[in-house]
Amino acid sequence: MIITLLSHQWRAFWRSRSAGKNLATQIFIGFVVLYLLACALALGLSLQHFLPRFFPGQDIIRVFCSLILYYFSVDILMRFLLQELPVLSIQPYLGQNIRRRQLVRFLNVRSLFQFFNLLPIFIFIPFIVTVIGSAHGPLVAACFIIAIIAITLFNHFLILYVKRKIIINSWWLVGFLGVVGILIALDYFHVFSFRALSASLFTILLQSPWLCIVFVALGVASLVNNTQFLRKNLYFEEIARRGRQRQSTEYAWLRQWGLTGELVALNIRLIMRNKRTKAVVLMTFVIMLYGFIFYKPVYLKSEHMPMILLGAMFITGIFIMNFGQFLFAWHSGYFDGLMALPVSIREFIRAQWALFIAVTTLTFVVTSFYGLISWKIIPFQIAAFLYNIGINSVVVIYFSTRSYKGIDLTRSATFNYQGTGMSQWLNILVVLLAPILLYCGLAWAFNNWVGLTVLSLLGLISLLLQNWWLNWLTDQFQARKHTILAGFREK
Amino acid sequence: MITVNNILKSYNGNTVVNIPQLSTRQGEMVGLVGNNGAGKTTFFRLLLDLVRADKGEIISNDKNVATTEDWKQYTAAYLDEGFLIHYLTPEEYFYFVGSLNNRSRSNVDEFLKNFESFFDGSILRSGKYIRDLSKGNQFKVGIAACLLREPQVLILDEPFANLDPSSQLRLIKMLKEWQGRHPMTVFISSHDINHITDVCSRILLMEKGRIIKDFDTTADTLQELESYFKV
Repeated sequence: MIITLLSHQWRAFWRSRSAGKNLATQIFIGFVVLYLLACALALGLSLQHFLPRFFPGQDIIRVFCSLILYYFSVDILMRFLLQELPVLSIQPYLGQNIRRRQLVRFLNVRSLFQFFNLLPIFIFIPFIVTVIGSAHGPLVAACFIIAIIAITLFNHFLILYVKRKIIINSWWLVGFLGVVGILIALDYFHVFSFRALSASLFTILLQSPWLCIVFVALGVASLVNNTQFLRKNLYFEEIARRGRQRQSTEYAWLRQWGLTGELVALNIRLIMRNKRTKAVVLMTFVIMLYGFIFYKPVYLKSEHMPMILLGAMFITGIFIMNFGQFLFAWHSGYFDGLMALPVSIREFIRAQWALFIAVTTLTFVVTSFYGLISWKIIPFQIAAFLYNIGINSVVVIYFSTRSYKGIDLTRSATFNYQGTGMSQWLNILVVLLAPILLYCGLAWAFNNWVGLTVLSLLGLISLLLQNWWLNWLTDQFQARKHTILAGFREK
Repeated sequence: MITVNNILKSYNGNTVVNIPQLSTRQGEMVGLVGNNGAGKTTFFRLLLDLVRADKGEIISNDKNVATTEDWKQYTAAYLDEGFLIHYLTPEEYFYFVGSLNNRSRSNVDEFLKNFESFFDGSILRSGKYIRDLSKGNQFKVGIAACLLREPQVLILDEPFANLDPSSQLRLIKMLKEWQGRHPMTVFISSHDINHITDVCSRILLMEKGRIIKDFDTTADTLQELESYFKV
């Protein structure tokens, strides 16, 4: 039975609309996953060379032992944020003649197919086999591996349980975050050391490997706990996120801009209330931290600084690129309805542009703190900011009039490339490459300042031509309106 | 009010809509009947310029719907859930639609009082987003949003399909009353020939994209339709 159900899942995966049609996207995702796993494997293989460098003069096996618990605490946090509950998959079976026990078992097995469950195996096993295996013998190494797998399963089922509990009672969320916060604080203020605990726990395992049954027992307990819970609560509405009280929200201050304001409010609600759009916002915040990667002293010292510009383009423009590439597709679920309402498309595009400018200005202001690293960063960010709101906005809106794929907003965002097509990749290329090439050319022919000034001026001039652009973009949209509508309707 | 000239739409060589000539007067209630695949919904999409016609044109108030947007000011439609913004609460959606027609918040609230019995207490202040409502309730939101716009042309696709029996009767009553106060051209498609002959003054029978019968509703209409649909 489980095999049949799993084969349905397999088909669901390959036949899903987000995965299906686009072979290039599938290959790309495949590469990304392989790349991440390869990174994990490379990390695992090079641990024995890394560790002595970071912890010189210490016994590397002891260092390794002290880091295991750290890894798994980060693991539990990552899982908490990203791990999915495979709940929807059982909906069609609830009305069939299938025993509860089997459905629960299916849910448990189905949930195991997770990227997170592969990671520790790739990271830890090479080190365990090569270093611990040769120092303490194969039996100890085998017990270590069993312990690692058991802890992975413990985390896996614990998070499933906690997340399900949170759905029923949100106090669990407060509790979970509270416990995590207290543990981090204790470790941070040296009241209690995770490293010491981890080191002593796993060095005991080195001496008496049979103690790995303790970890196995923990893993099994976690599994049993989750199974019991599911068996008692196998009602769809109880384990799926439903029935929460929803509130209307008001953005009264936006109303002063009339229709444009209404449409901006619509976009804000769109962003705040759907999984995939929330991920875009999260991404914007994460990318704001990329300055610490891009704005390196090495790059700042050189005369031409394309890397700094690339960083600035990314940091100030990520919202435009990420949200803008699906400008119309975000609204695909009800685009028919929107087109039958008296909303002129010019007004619609204008509202999107206004949103771009507002959010980008906000990111620009917030990320000005990078000026503390070096004042030289500020002119780059100004140029990138002006270019992004002036020119890249237009480019992104133009490309989205050539994108005919809809988006199902309710699906989650992790590895979801639904709606992504050729025009999205082209879009990113044009948006990032064009200004950088232009800058490099000018900086090379004249100097850095000419490059930055030209970029800023281009952005400003384009912004002044806003009305002309809006007319042009409206024409572009009208020319392809029916194709876009037909594409969005095809779910 | 609305004139159709030589409209033709086909997908992959299958003709879905083929209407040489059709015109409707203001205030006429037109019912479309026909089996699945007769082209009713595609015809509605053509009326709303949501699909491009291969040939011909649709004229609304002397203007081609494909080249102007004036018709949007006085045309309201609800074809399916795709017309609703699913992540808004019903109230937010009504306010949004109201704002497009220059209605204030309080004006919208006032207007919605007419719908109290139709909504049956399960729509306003329900604490749900539209996507969490049942199909029937979503439809109620859709039709109320249409009427909120006080349209001159109203297009409803299968309005009776997802409604409970008392809501169906309330809808019929509401449409008739509304029509008395506020004449509009109404297009309704339905598989329920009892209801449609009750509401509509004119019936179009469609088959494979063509209008094979066009007649005013009389006492015999129901029988005539029953004999057409008999298996």
